Amino acid sequence: MTGRALDNGFRLIGLLMMGLIICFLIIPIVVTAIMAFDARAYLGPLPPPAFSFRWFKQFLSDDYFLKGLGTSIQLACVSVTVSLCVGVATAFAVDRVSFAGKEALISLFLSPLIVPPVVTGFALLLFLSHLGLIDGFARLLCGHIIITVPYTIRATLAGVSGIDRSLTEAALILGATERRAFWDVTFPLARTGIVSGGIFAFAVSMDDVSVSIMLTDAKTYTLPIALISSMRANFDLSIAAASVMLMLLTLALIFILEKSVGLNRAIGQGVFR
Amino acid sequence: MESQREPVIEFLDVVKRFGQIAAVDHVTFTVGAGETVSLLGPSGCGKTTTLRLISGFEEPDAGVIEIAGESMIGKRPYERNVGLLFQHYALFPHMTVAENVAYGLKHRGWPKADIPGRVKEMLRLVQLEGFDTRRPGQMSGGQQQRVALARVLATKPKLVLLDEPLSALDAKLREELRLELKQILTTVGSTTIVVTHDQDEAMSLADRIIVMNRGHIEQQGSPDEIYMRPRSAFVAAFIGRGNWFQGRILNALGNGLCCLITEAGTKLAIRHPAAAGGTWSICIRPERIAVAGPDTTVADLGDNLLSGRVVDVVNMGAEFHYVIEGPEGRVIVVEPNRAGPRVRSGDQVCLLFRAEDCIVLPKETT
Repeated sequence: MTGRALDNGFRLIGLLMMGLIICFLIIPIVVTAIMAFDARAYLGPLPPPAFSFRWFKQFLSDDYFLKGLGTSIQLACVSVTVSLCVGVATAFAVDRVSFAGKEALISLFLSPLIVPPVVTGFALLLFLSHLGLIDGFARLLCGHIIITVPYTIRATLAGVSGIDRSLTEAALILGATERRAFWDVTFPLARTGIVSGGIFAFAVSMDDVSVSIMLTDAKTYTLPIALISSMRANFDLSIAAASVMLMLLTLALIFILEKSVGLNRAIGQGVFR
Repeated sequence: MESQREPVIEFLDVVKRFGQIAAVDHVTFTVGAGETVSLLGPSGCGKTTTLRLISGFEEPDAGVIEIAGESMIGKRPYERNVGLLFQHYALFPHMTVAENVAYGLKHRGWPKADIPGRVKEMLRLVQLEGFDTRRPGQMSGGQQQRVALARVLATKPKLVLLDEPLSALDAKLREELRLELKQILTTVGSTTIVVTHDQDEAMSLADRIIVMNRGHIEQQGSPDEIYMRPRSAFVAAFIGRGNWFQGRILNALGNGLCCLITEAGTKLAIRHPAAAGGTWSICIRPERIAVAGPDTTVADLGDNLLSGRVVDVVNMGAEFHYVIEGPEGRVIVVEPNRAGPRVRSGDQVCLLFRAEDCIVLPKETT
């Protein structure tokens, strides 16, 4: 076989792989979306004979789910706010100074990404009960801040380290003080990184099961926890309806992001070119 | 050589070390009002550090830096009235052209009402009228460099620093912009330091060139002095091309001339006061050598005559480069292209040059 034929072969295999992966990612979402509109009262095979909004109605009339959704949204908003403050401050500080062990410190900040969330959750559960903190929301908030901070640090760091040092110097030599240069140049240029960090953090917080399941109590639970426990009790399609609504929420978020800062920049490195 | 004019910057016996290495090692120079001086040298010679010391991004370990009679030691960059044009423009990508140009005016305390007018004036100066609302990302390299220049000059800084101002541009554009840059600097009448490793940039922009090497000044003088009367082999080799011979002085010939015998045994007349003995490097600029071929003659140019065979003729468009192989090794001669090449590959030729055009330099051990 010639080299050329081999090249073509590999290209074909590459395309096939890409197609397979896309199918793998898309099909479950499509199936979920179709099933959510299933008119049948039980879980039947695809395709559904008729469509309806019954599962959406059931989801929205279920106080158990709604309470979980409320907690999840509150939790995500508060924990993202806190972790943005912490993460942005940390990233800026780490970017400015250089010292021995800087890389090690950054790795430490990012370690919640590596430590299995179950371990984080369990450790936190023990730690917080030693401290006597038993309020469910406060405990969940601690856990969610820990798992979201790495995302805000990393995204901000990516954004801020892409900023040419000479831009700050240009501001200084043009008469701006260091504080002014920070607010005029560094911060606006790092903004896309910060925003994308916030979005990732929000998604992580909304989605988390492993840490939350350790810290949940009977009165305070998040939507994913509510969905899982209801699935164990009686499996119905209101979970599919919930998924569809969460997807719509994400799409709305992406749309807002696209309109405000530009999606490519926010999802990408967050580096201003 | 010191400037006759009132000094805008005095840079006296300044030392800056990074660890064990002295990036700037007891460097002294001044720049007079309205003068354009170039700091020229290879990378790592300390020219960029000098620039950063003047702008306040680095603090010297020793020495005096005064701008308009005021010491700059311990002053932050924004406390100095210095403009800096960055090599890669350093335009704020999230601001429009007008906002970029206005940035310095805003922070240097210009009255708000005057700013739009000044921005317009500066954009006119750099021929970018009507570009106010563009972003730097939507402009070509040359245009970005002009915006950067407008931003630097807008606040009328006492001293303008240009860091490799044209090196990020392609060759053709560089030439155009160089002329324009010179014109703008003359119009504004600013006192300017151009830091560059590009001899063309230094020769064409500067009234005076300061050649730096390994943290110290090798020589300063007018472009002509630097080119025709270099004081060290480093300067002669760094600026322009040259044909080099090594040799020993045999005896004086009178009239200030000496006879030098090269390593290959050729005798050359050179203008040099030294007595017999001592080894010297001789550098002859390629355009100072005349070629006489089999069918051509030249006006008598010569105290000296070498013979050789043409091995290559390179057409550079405006000029020809003849490569001639002789007993002294390869000699390169540059001749303007007036009516095609006068000699061909393979021709036996004579090379003629004057004693005055032999630059005599102490032989460097390195």
